[in-house]
Amino acid sequence: MENVLYKLETYLKKQISRKAFLKFALGGLTLFIANNRFLKLAFAKAEDSTGRPKNKVKGNYDLVTAEGPDPYKNTVQAVAALGGMEKFVKKGAVVVIKPNMGWDRTPDQAANTDPMVVAALVEMAYQAGAKKVTVFDVPCNDERRCQENSGIKKAAEEKGAKVTFVDHWNVVKAKFPYKSDMENWPILRDAVECDTFINVPVLKHHMLTGLTLSMKNLMGVCSGTRGLMHVGIDNKLVDITDFMNPDLTVIDATRHLTKNGPSGGNVKDVVTMNKVIASTDPTLADIHAAKLVDKDPMSVPYIKAAVARKFGIFDPASASIHALTSV
Amino acid sequence: MKKLVLTRKASQMVFLGLFVYILWSTTYPLKGLFPSDAFFKIDPLTVMFTSLSERVFLPGFIISLLMLALTLVFGRFFCGWVCPLGTCLDLTAFGKKRKTVLREAAGERIRRIKYIVLGTIFLFAVLGVQCAWVFDPIVIAARFVSLNLIPWVTMGVERSMVFAIQRFDLYGPFYDLYRDLRSSFLGININMPENSGVIFASFALLLLASGRVPRLWCRTLCPLGALYSLPAKLSLLERRSEKCTRCGVCSKNCRMGAIKDTGAYNKAECVLCMDCVYDCRPGTSFNWHKAKRRDRAQAKDARGMSRKDFLLFFIIPLVAGFKNKDETAGMPDIGLIDAAVIRPPGAQNEKKFLNLCVRCGNCMKVCITGALHPVMFESGLEGLWSPRLVPELGYCEYNCNLCGQVCPTGAIPSLPLPEKKKQILGLAVVDKTICLPWVKGKDCIVCEEHCPTPDKAIKMEIDTSGIRRPIVDKTLCIGCGICQTKCPVRPQRAIRVIPTA
Repeated sequence: MENVLYKLETYLKKQISRKAFLKFALGGLTLFIANNRFLKLAFAKAEDSTGRPKNKVKGNYDLVTAEGPDPYKNTVQAVAALGGMEKFVKKGAVVVIKPNMGWDRTPDQAANTDPMVVAALVEMAYQAGAKKVTVFDVPCNDERRCQENSGIKKAAEEKGAKVTFVDHWNVVKAKFPYKSDMENWPILRDAVECDTFINVPVLKHHMLTGLTLSMKNLMGVCSGTRGLMHVGIDNKLVDITDFMNPDLTVIDATRHLTKNGPSGGNVKDVVTMNKVIASTDPTLADIHAAKLVDKDPMSVPYIKAAVARKFGIFDPASASIHALTSV
Repeated sequence: MKKLVLTRKASQMVFLGLFVYILWSTTYPLKGLFPSDAFFKIDPLTVMFTSLSERVFLPGFIISLLMLALTLVFGRFFCGWVCPLGTCLDLTAFGKKRKTVLREAAGERIRRIKYIVLGTIFLFAVLGVQCAWVFDPIVIAARFVSLNLIPWVTMGVERSMVFAIQRFDLYGPFYDLYRDLRSSFLGININMPENSGVIFASFALLLLASGRVPRLWCRTLCPLGALYSLPAKLSLLERRSEKCTRCGVCSKNCRMGAIKDTGAYNKAECVLCMDCVYDCRPGTSFNWHKAKRRDRAQAKDARGMSRKDFLLFFIIPLVAGFKNKDETAGMPDIGLIDAAVIRPPGAQNEKKFLNLCVRCGNCMKVCITGALHPVMFESGLEGLWSPRLVPELGYCEYNCNLCGQVCPTGAIPSLPLPEKKKQILGLAVVDKTICLPWVKGKDCIVCEEHCPTPDKAIKMEIDTSGIRRPIVDKTLCIGCGICQTKCPVRPQRAIRVIPTA
């Protein structure tokens, strides 16, 4: 013990030279600055973006519904009736398909988009000459489990798509020409900087908005604290739909989760509908889907806001709607 | 004879690599080549003393007995050839010129301590308390690898790649490579566990100490080494020096301080590192022989633990103390704070849990949301480094039972999914003084939409202006904590999970 104390004493009494001190201080300072610089650059500020181009491709109809027992066939038929995937996907285009795979649930629990609908879209996009098709969603549960258990990863990768994890550092800052609560919100860059954006929501219950439809599904391209989007959700969702301007909206109404949404988990709450809605206009698609489940579209806050703002085709009477049925 | 030393070093590297690989693959979806508790199954210290204290036969009991039987043949080969902590200590001491050589008497004195440690562990185990984890080398190494090394390496690689992509605008194939890596190599949880600094500091202390005196830890404290040295004393393999010139090189270089100045050696201390075979000057040779009749002098030298000590620590307690264990017994409550932490699913019997838990960190490593973290003293002194759910950082995934699958001692029971979903971890409580709908009259319901129970444990109460305000149904809440994780209110969340007794 005495020995140790003695050693400690001599160590403390030892004087360090000025040179050694300067060396030490300089080294520390360099390390500190380098570290700060590294962190700053590794979390670089996002660029501003005004969203995807606002021009829209018109289909043969404004909206097509396809009914039948096979969701894969429904999707193919609906998109074909709309004018075919070639209308929306140009040769060598980068295509993003944004399904709802936000929950660690199986397809029969109806909280996520049916994998076969996604698979059909991926295949059609490649047939139309797409260079690359990516599928992603910002999930609510763990990303790996969501991709695995929703069945979408397997189904989409079989058709050649890339199912990726989202990178929350790779975002753009949203800018709007009008006043918006979504100003400066971080949006995934991959979703914004693509040639064709296909929104593939699932028709299901949601406590706050009544129904989760195409506009609600676009929350899945937003990064940041998404919980805060729930405050004043109606106008925020219309803004983000305007910002993203999806080329094609395919609503998967194969199964309808009637209550305890959006996560569900109880197969008893699921009603089979066997329908797929394809449309070029998100507002029209949402209104039509709400009517399909006997819900007043005006009771869904974001549809109400879209109609009030005269956003998209807000009057279903003026739209051309086509229905297909197969056995 | 350098071949033997090289073989030993290769073996050490292979087993260290294997150890890191197994812990690395302890992650979703658990598709490693080896079971994630492989190293804990062959560790007789945790397996046998946990079995003894809990009066159960843990799986792996037979394997650990096999390890002791192998020691009876070869000696302490585990310490020198396999032990990952031993390899780490050797690596730190590697190339160090200035090594302190302890005097023979001092070496004798410090080496007794580990038998006292082992005896204490045994005594507690007989009385029904498992404290083998405190000094278990496998557990100490596993904690460092799982909670420090792997997160740091992955985070370092990930951050550097992000930096390169953003700085040099590498959004082409390099970005694709980054994404491929994220779905495999970097796909493990990159989360910094709470208190990981303390775990690192204690591990670094071990390494630093053995930088001065080689393998100081193994000589002085390691109870696993003490356990192995009991059969090693009788091992069949033995070191013989035929033409010894008493040059003293081997005794100076022996990492365990097992060779005496006279050239004789302490068989219970030898870890078969083979250095003495290599060090020996030409003209003399050391050979390994099957042990023959032990002569007096050697028997005296080979002493690991005296007969008196052995009786005192092993036989008397076993005869006197072993009785049917009282279920209410367990680690005496010496902590200052009552257990106030949320335990992993299925581990709600606090005393039983702490008794079985060896603090290896497997559950924290595998936890898919990074929700489990080691505690320091939040659940008392006896709860040191046991896992705790921190809902601010992560939540218990409803469809996941990985922590039970990787627990080596069954402290977190391996439950089938339907069973696991019924486990109640705690209770969510809405803080009506900061909750957005309750205070500001704004719609939110983030907690309700994330609630994983099929019938929603968070119900909505609609007030006069049509705002939905969350209330918790106590009969349905399982306390998984996702509501607290996702709550957008900062800095403190408006819904919090409290542990339930």
